Amino acid sequence: MPFETDSAAGAAAAGTGAAPALEPFRASQSLTLGVELELQLVSLSDFDLVPASPDMLDLLARAPFPGNVTPEITQSMIEINSSVHTGHGELLAQLREIRDTLVRAGDRLNVGVCGGGTHPFQQWSQRRIYAKPRFREVSQLYGYLAKQFTVFGQHVHIGCRSGDEALYLLHALNRYVPHFIALSASSPFSQGSDTSFQSARLNSVFAFPLSGRAPFLLRWDAFAEDYFNRMAGTGIVRSMKDFYWDLRPKPEYGTIELRVCDTPLSVERAAALACYLQALCRYLLEGNEPAPREDDYLVYNYNRFQACRFGLDGTLVHPQRHEQLPLREDILTTLRRLEPHAAALGSGAALDLLYRESHTGSDATFLRQAFEADGSREAIVDAALRRFRAGE
Amino acid sequence: MTDPYVSLAQLAWPLALVLSWMAGEILFRWTGLPRISIYGLAGFAFGNLAKGFAAPTDDNAFLLLANLGFGLILFELGYRINLRWLRANPWIVATSLAESSLTFVAVVLVAQAFRMPALAASLLAALAMASSPAGLVRVFNEQQAGGQVTERALHLSALNCVLAVFAYNAIVGIGVFQTSGNLGHAAAASLLVLGASALLGSVAGMLVPRWLRGMGRAGSSGGDATMTFALAVLLLVAVTHVLHLSPVLAALSFGLVARHRRSALGVAQRNFGALGDLLSVMLFVYAASTLDWQHVWAGLGLGTLLVIVRLTVKVGVCAAFARVSGISVRKGALSGLALAPMGVFAVLLIEQTRRLGVDLFHSLAPLAAIALLLQLAGPLISQRAVIAANETPYDKEA
Repeated sequence: MPFETDSAAGAAAAGTGAAPALEPFRASQSLTLGVELELQLVSLSDFDLVPASPDMLDLLARAPFPGNVTPEITQSMIEINSSVHTGHGELLAQLREIRDTLVRAGDRLNVGVCGGGTHPFQQWSQRRIYAKPRFREVSQLYGYLAKQFTVFGQHVHIGCRSGDEALYLLHALNRYVPHFIALSASSPFSQGSDTSFQSARLNSVFAFPLSGRAPFLLRWDAFAEDYFNRMAGTGIVRSMKDFYWDLRPKPEYGTIELRVCDTPLSVERAAALACYLQALCRYLLEGNEPAPREDDYLVYNYNRFQACRFGLDGTLVHPQRHEQLPLREDILTTLRRLEPHAAALGSGAALDLLYRESHTGSDATFLRQAFEADGSREAIVDAALRRFRAGE
Repeated sequence: MTDPYVSLAQLAWPLALVLSWMAGEILFRWTGLPRISIYGLAGFAFGNLAKGFAAPTDDNAFLLLANLGFGLILFELGYRINLRWLRANPWIVATSLAESSLTFVAVVLVAQAFRMPALAASLLAALAMASSPAGLVRVFNEQQAGGQVTERALHLSALNCVLAVFAYNAIVGIGVFQTSGNLGHAAAASLLVLGASALLGSVAGMLVPRWLRGMGRAGSSGGDATMTFALAVLLLVAVTHVLHLSPVLAALSFGLVARHRRSALGVAQRNFGALGDLLSVMLFVYAASTLDWQHVWAGLGLGTLLVIVRLTVKVGVCAAFARVSGISVRKGALSGLALAPMGVFAVLLIEQTRRLGVDLFHSLAPLAAIALLLQLAGPLISQRAVIAANETPYDKEA
């Protein structure tokens, strides 16, 4: 979910009536990474979403939390984020610690915690907006879209040395966005029905006016002045948080943020996806591919749709060569190409997990199997809860 | 030519139900008062006004209908209980045992201090242990409540109802033994009734999911499962009614067993939809109509005192166990407060006993007062508790 609390700069500017300026890009160590996960809070009595985030946050506040935990727009969601890491081992260890803490707290409150991009049968109209001014504002602006946006994503941040590096990476990654959609897809059901999509979640994101892709600008100064300031001047945006792009720069953290992933069913997959992005960024920064062009985006929405609809069985159109590529094959080829980078970053195990998943199927496949095996929608949630708790 | 009085008597009940329902809708809209409190008030007024020309309380059919409504609610409660939570957080069970037993002791002591005979005081205390699931489930559904106060109140209510039914039947058994001296008769009046009722419910809880799975309906809309469950509850309640067993335990164990074997079932519709709404109007109007104004008046003093004592114990114990069980003391106290409702549960249990030939209202005047007070104020207190705990949608409060 993209509704973050407002930035200090934006709020201050709003107070004075002046158009807010984009804050300078804070350089950070290249290729560091951090993960945010939006998680579902489920009643263990009936497996429906439950407005339990105030109670969970209250209980979690009693002891130090490994990482960070915050409320999200509806009370049936919770967001966690890791610290900044350099490698797979430490990221995974922290995510596991966070998971165990959440599961323990949930057990005391009859609340199940799980991943998955959507809840299979929750009704959006029953969701409840978290009592926070920003969330209420958003709810008033977007109406039912805000409650319909009870979907759960994983965001991955990658550290960049400069704004220019961030924009280069952001656009160079455009051709790989479908990989992340297909590998993380875990939202085949929505509002009680099979959507026939592998990731139905991203369709909810498209309803928002400032979603999609970032404008094709490769220099930070140009981005700040030619784009952001003009947009701010229209009064539509106050900070970067108002853009719900698939990939967006995050100047205050000195990162780019990938936002297309469904929350996977396990923290192991979440860590693996983050490390895949990290290795890919290392590969791209070494100049192994032709520079991105604006025309790359001609096929962007189509490729994105293929990944959402068919997942690993989708077909891509290469943005520059315009050849058709089976998505699964393209992922496997990329994984092989990234092996030396993964070795240098110490994330071989992460890529191995994705390699296996490319063969066995995504979380969406797993959830459909759970439904077929048992025939009930509750069984899908039950399977997701078990996978989150047990891992892998 | 039909006697006009007979015609009037035949129309009295349907008219009372329609008027109660309309009053409930209007006052809910204007004041936000729980609908079931209004039904109770209307039922009490009607029952006392109608005395002499329409005597619904003598009608077995109305007791059966009320029990059907109650059975649906109990099934829904059982269906919402997660026994694994009680294992994961044993403090919930500890809270329940403490609040139920201390309520029992406190009520016995106060009642005896007012010279009530030991047996009568114990029966009153056993009933005071329970929090009426009818009140809780209806109010929470009406408020779309969700959160720890809601969850805990529902689980505590299920537990204290079971404890209350056991205590109540055991005491009735002792009473029967003291009167008849026949141990077999006494046992039949208590433990056998409980065992057989729970067994019947459990069997239904195993058979119905199997039927649903066999019919391949589990994956389709929840409506199919709702219909099946509703019919099964109706049958179960009718069987317990005929066999003089406890519909409370049977319906509750049906819900519990079905829920824990549910891996193949859809979600039952909240409140059982329009059918549940209709039966609950009957249930709450009927339950209050059995209360006699003279009994209420005679027992008002002690009854009010007992209501206060009962609620103080429940709030105190839930608050005391709150932090250790994972919530704030405030939320603990609010979940104790949410346990206020009692009326319908007590009334139906007493009506059940009356069918066994023991009329407790005559010996338990304060009970009529308690039942009335808590049937009106109980749902309101529960409603206020979940609102104070921020467990209702904020746009509803605005």
